Amino acid sequence: MLALLLLMAFVYNNNLVYLLTFLLASIFFITILHTFRSLSGLSVQKVRSTPVFLGDAAGFEIRIDNPGGSARHIHITLESTERLMLKTQSQTQLTVYAMTQKRGRQQVGTITLASTFPLGLFRAWSPVRLSFETLVYPKPAQSQLPFPETPAAHVGQGLTKKGADDFYGVQEYQAGDSVKQIHWKAFAKGLGVFSKQYSGESQTEIWLDYQFTPGNTVEDRLSQLCRWVCDAEKLGVRYGFVLPGLSVSPGQGREHTRKCLEALALF
Amino acid sequence: MIDKFYLPRPVLIFLLSTLGLIVFPHFFNLPVNLMVLFYLMLGWRFIGMWKPLWLPNKVLLFMLTTGGMALLYFQHQGVVGRDAGTSLFVTALGLKLLEIKSERDIYLINFLAFIVAASQFLFQQSILMAAYILFVCCVLVATLFCVNSHDHKTFSALKYASLLILQGLPISIVLFILFPRVEAPRWILFDEHRAKSGLSDTMEPGSISDLVLSDDLVFRVRFAGELPPAWQRYWRGPVLSWTDGKRWTQAPNLSVIKSPPSPQFTGLPYQYTLLMEPQNKNWVYGLEMVADYGFPVHQNANYQLVTSDDPNKRAEYTITSYTRFNTGSLSAREAQDALQLPGGASYNIKQLVTNLQGFDGDPENFIKRVLNHFKVENFHYTLTPPLAEDHPIETFLFESRQGFCSHYASAFVYLMRIADIPARVVTGYQGGELNPVGNFLEIRQSDAHAWAEVWLQNKGWVRVDPTAAIAPERIENTINPDQLVAGELIRYLSVDGHAQGAYNWLRQARQLWGHVDYNWQRWVINYDNKNQSRFLSKWGISDLKTMIYGMVAAASLIIGLLAWMLLHQKQKSTAMALRIYQRFCKKLAKQGLIISTGEGPKDFAARARFKFPAYAKEIDFISAGFIRLHYGKDPSLEELKMFRRRVARFKI
Repeated sequence: MLALLLLMAFVYNNNLVYLLTFLLASIFFITILHTFRSLSGLSVQKVRSTPVFLGDAAGFEIRIDNPGGSARHIHITLESTERLMLKTQSQTQLTVYAMTQKRGRQQVGTITLASTFPLGLFRAWSPVRLSFETLVYPKPAQSQLPFPETPAAHVGQGLTKKGADDFYGVQEYQAGDSVKQIHWKAFAKGLGVFSKQYSGESQTEIWLDYQFTPGNTVEDRLSQLCRWVCDAEKLGVRYGFVLPGLSVSPGQGREHTRKCLEALALF
Repeated sequence: MIDKFYLPRPVLIFLLSTLGLIVFPHFFNLPVNLMVLFYLMLGWRFIGMWKPLWLPNKVLLFMLTTGGMALLYFQHQGVVGRDAGTSLFVTALGLKLLEIKSERDIYLINFLAFIVAASQFLFQQSILMAAYILFVCCVLVATLFCVNSHDHKTFSALKYASLLILQGLPISIVLFILFPRVEAPRWILFDEHRAKSGLSDTMEPGSISDLVLSDDLVFRVRFAGELPPAWQRYWRGPVLSWTDGKRWTQAPNLSVIKSPPSPQFTGLPYQYTLLMEPQNKNWVYGLEMVADYGFPVHQNANYQLVTSDDPNKRAEYTITSYTRFNTGSLSAREAQDALQLPGGASYNIKQLVTNLQGFDGDPENFIKRVLNHFKVENFHYTLTPPLAEDHPIETFLFESRQGFCSHYASAFVYLMRIADIPARVVTGYQGGELNPVGNFLEIRQSDAHAWAEVWLQNKGWVRVDPTAAIAPERIENTINPDQLVAGELIRYLSVDGHAQGAYNWLRQARQLWGHVDYNWQRWVINYDNKNQSRFLSKWGISDLKTMIYGMVAAASLIIGLLAWMLLHQKQKSTAMALRIYQRFCKKLAKQGLIISTGEGPKDFAARARFKFPAYAKEIDFISAGFIRLHYGKDPSLEELKMFRRRVARFKI
């Protein structure tokens, strides 16, 4: 466009067209400085990441500091791009997501901060490489296998299925609930899928052992174990956990689960 | 970047309104049907914001494009040239509006709009138009800003755009001054010449009165020294010596006649620069009598200046004139031209010449008597005399006795020739209004004038202005054209302030504007190849290489400065900390404790603590704060503010 304007000015010897051309050219040139400035001084810090199951998007929470005296308009890209405005002298927290490919530790990869501010003619960008990782647990298996029968060596009584005696309450259907437990009446009324819970001898313990886990490959087995760990946690079953070279005594609760899942992720 | 394109509606409304503003002035330049087509498409796009389904699909868009191009072709027979090219861009802009699919389209539309805005300057180059275009370009930049930020408020976008323009201005001025101007070869110019009013090479009854009503500027003159007195400001144009009794024309084959010897000049020289507005004739109106002039001006056999440049462009000439001169002897050809008469004179005229002792052989006495005749008899000066078709001179002399300069000049010359005195009519401009702000004369079409020239023994050609005899005010003052239209007889505008205050105020404003406009024309519009080298040689820049080096150096310097200003905020905040600390030092200095050069804040604090133990805590705090803010990491605004408050509160 500028070349065309310059040609126009030349052909018609028109000084005002020259002036306009030069003005636009200098404005466009100056925007390089403005674009650069819209990124300069920003600092990116990691905040936290939450572990995810393989196949889900891993979220990395970061904080962007804008110490400058002007608002910034930036694009932030990890796997998808997001537009963002950072207010004057502010801190902005946001989460960027990356798809997970492999079980284990996953690095955040390169987060790119870019800006085309103010006129979109130039783009300044800055790749940010944080040492920021998250744990990727195995993907829970799809199939609903019952909990394994535990070798008596570990437990005296063996496994008693979760109480089949007294009706305890209704809760939303969770993957892994038995078909028998489904509250069909409520389902027929169109209220959704609920499963009936019975309280029984809830002090039952199960052992989730790698050795006794079906599966063709290591990953299949880990995947099944992962599923069981999740189900057991959901159903409130106390479970012990055994991997080659690692044994976790029976327990319950979030911390216990986390320990088991972490072991699975890093196996 | 962004996969899904989304343009917020306020931004689109903003963009469309801007486009409406940009194209609007082209109503004066382009065919109306093309303009209507553009505004229809603009309106269509507007409606499309609320009814997206109404926007044209591909087939319809193709048909519209074909239709638009056909219309363009019929209108201009092509796409080459100023008018056709501008129409092409306007039509393309309109069509593109109907098809906004991605962010790329917005940029394309913006760039097309910049071109359309610039094309306006091919038609009009006034200051007002420049200001208008600057404004619309600011709005265009603002739309780009809106697309690229989250801020869609019109005001803040305009503010940012103006900031960008302000920052861009210094560089563009440097580029404007130093960018080498090369004249485009003539064949590239497709410009059509427009008819302009001005003096013509013939004089017929009424020909000058048309001009007198026109307020258009013809040329401006800036004198190097003193100005000649008002009654000597005769700007010489074509000399008319041939007449058929009604029409007066220039002598034929003027161009081949050898120039007469240069006149003898006495008295003071007047040196001046003359800035001609675009004209349709190549005449340059020099002050009588021109002594010195430079290329591309020549002098013809009638002492009239002509230029060999394109008169349709503004041009500047430097000329020297003397008001006292003697042209010497009369050539045979001049004598023949200056005594030519269309057949014999009527009885009435011969009688008049006899009565005024025209045949007695003393030309100077005869001239006086003729002028006196105009004065004492009932002659009137008016711009609307009764029409006399057959014998205009006789009708004027004996019946109507009403006329303006061309009547008086032609009648006077006719009487002289009857009395066998060589005489001819000179047309040109007389007077001119002094612009006190810029100290130059403005000569407008309303200053067009015709006078007579008589050849006298030992004096050569002498100017005689019969109009001055009947209406001396015409020569001393300027006609006020507004009043001319209203009344039949002319009233004059007095220069020395008898007019009403309001009018004076208007006049001053007009003069100020005239001054600004003069400089605009001279330094901006007319800054061509020649003016550039003249201007730059003052600064020692004479060749192309230095020019380009200078341009790059100056532009880089400004960019460097701008970069420093824009990107060095840290510098600023630490400087602020230092300033605040100095305030603290001053307070201590009042108490006799002066920081010595090279003394660090820690040492100074130790001395202060020792001298004013009561304030030790405060002194320590401020010193530590300063060290942290000045030498540490970027301080935040909050910290600085706190530091300032602390220092302000510190009293000793």
